Amino acid sequence: MAPVDVALIGWAQTPSVARASIAEPQLCMQANLAAVAKAGIERKDIGFTCSGSCDYLTGGPFAFVQNLDAAGAWPPIAESHVEMDGAWALYEAWTRLQLGDIDVALVYGSGKSSPSDPVQLYPQQLDPYYLAPLGLDPASIGALQARALLDSGRASEDQFAEVAARSRRSARSNPNAHVRGDEDAADLAKADYVRAPLRAHDIAPVSDGAAAIVLATAERARGLVERPVLIRGIEHRLEIHQPGMRDLTRSPSTAAAAQGAGLGGGRVDVAELCALFSPQELILRDALGLDDSVDVNPSGGPLTANPVMATGLVRIIEAAQRIADGTAGRALAHATNGQGLQHNLVAILEGVS
Amino acid sequence: MTDAQTEPEASSAVMMDDKVTLTYVEDLPPNTVRFAEALVEGRIVGQRCPQCQRVYVPPKGYCPLDVVLLDEGDDTEVSDRGVVTGFTIIAPVKYYGQTKTEPFVYASILLDGASGTLGGQDVSGISADKVRAGLRVKAVWKPEAERTTEGQSARGWGNVEGCISSFEPSGEPDAPREHYQEHVI
Repeated sequence: MAPVDVALIGWAQTPSVARASIAEPQLCMQANLAAVAKAGIERKDIGFTCSGSCDYLTGGPFAFVQNLDAAGAWPPIAESHVEMDGAWALYEAWTRLQLGDIDVALVYGSGKSSPSDPVQLYPQQLDPYYLAPLGLDPASIGALQARALLDSGRASEDQFAEVAARSRRSARSNPNAHVRGDEDAADLAKADYVRAPLRAHDIAPVSDGAAAIVLATAERARGLVERPVLIRGIEHRLEIHQPGMRDLTRSPSTAAAAQGAGLGGGRVDVAELCALFSPQELILRDALGLDDSVDVNPSGGPLTANPVMATGLVRIIEAAQRIADGTAGRALAHATNGQGLQHNLVAILEGVS
Repeated sequence: MTDAQTEPEASSAVMMDDKVTLTYVEDLPPNTVRFAEALVEGRIVGQRCPQCQRVYVPPKGYCPLDVVLLDEGDDTEVSDRGVVTGFTIIAPVKYYGQTKTEPFVYASILLDGASGTLGGQDVSGISADKVRAGLRVKAVWKPEAERTTEGQSARGWGNVEGCISSFEPSGEPDAPREHYQEHVI
């Protein structure tokens, strides 16, 4: 059976900020209301709702339930939640739409990281015997990955700085960015290490924020928006949890997901990559076979805006935006979960010709 | 596989504690800040949804039923009097930290002007076996100097405990069942 074509018909994100003054369900509601308005639908048209967030960030069991207020759960709705980036909520909604009995779905991802200390919190996502007691925070794992990449001889610290400098320049035109800059890579490379060999600009900021997307079957989308953005393919693949048991300098799960999503079907103009550390962009480009003609992270990417649990969903939004505004015909969006690019999702988006 | 591998001797296992402490520092959202500050002044402030007219106490900054964002303009004051809609009598058993010795009441209270109850409120000035659904009560405010915004949280949208010590019978006649039957908890 041929897959049901699914389109993105509305999306929105709150600005990525260091500390949001409003509560997470309020952030979610802002994003959801804007996405639903842009899609030109009413809330009652939504047949399925799926959200992605992390109770550890909020600091309360079942905290995600309160976020449901933002979807309007009365009268009762069909909904689901993933303790993952909102990009995986989108994957679940895409899967749900394949059944063919509903034609509109809402997905959103959200996170307020500001109340907690990531250095303290993130080791708790690791296995409790060998990794969590070490206090391995994401930047430490990112640094191990960066060191492995340097040792492989396939990248240099200057290249890390070039990724960061380009991202920060791109973010200057992104109203939702958390950090922006206009520095030369050579100047960035003079900064002190935060986690050697990573410097502050190599590490994604930790942002508060929420993002939402309305999906519709292509058939339904045609009557709703002028330029729906089609999901041509979407796939995700997972690698082993223990970072010591894989080659951190390669991302075979990204390559496999891209193949499954149909990247081989043609070149992409834009790629929004969920590189939370500048070396990860180099690893992902390599895994995806992207050459220099591809515009990577024109939004500035996660190095400039990282609303944890929505950062991957924002990649899909930013890629879709390039298609909707006509600057790209075919775009790739990538999302990641876990540590050191453990779990990767790739979506291929195209405009309707 | 040898026996040694399946049944290690007790002395070969090293037990290790790995206690985790996570600290969260939260900012209260603006609606909760206004709620908390009003309480210190002796007022209970909620928010009225302009669509369904429901009044949320404490205020949430939105109406979850209509999915509309609410702001300061939607703030509305409600009474510090209300009616017990449901309650639990707790007979304390002795355990570490338990200070109560006599049965006490946790009640849900529907304040006049509010569309939902405040849960888990102490009821004072009446013996536990006399508490009933429909009982009219009024807030027992702490002395102004003792009122505090501490204990307010961004989760659950805040509470009244920092400023109201309990609710006591107001002396008014019981409310009719129709007034509270949709608000059991």
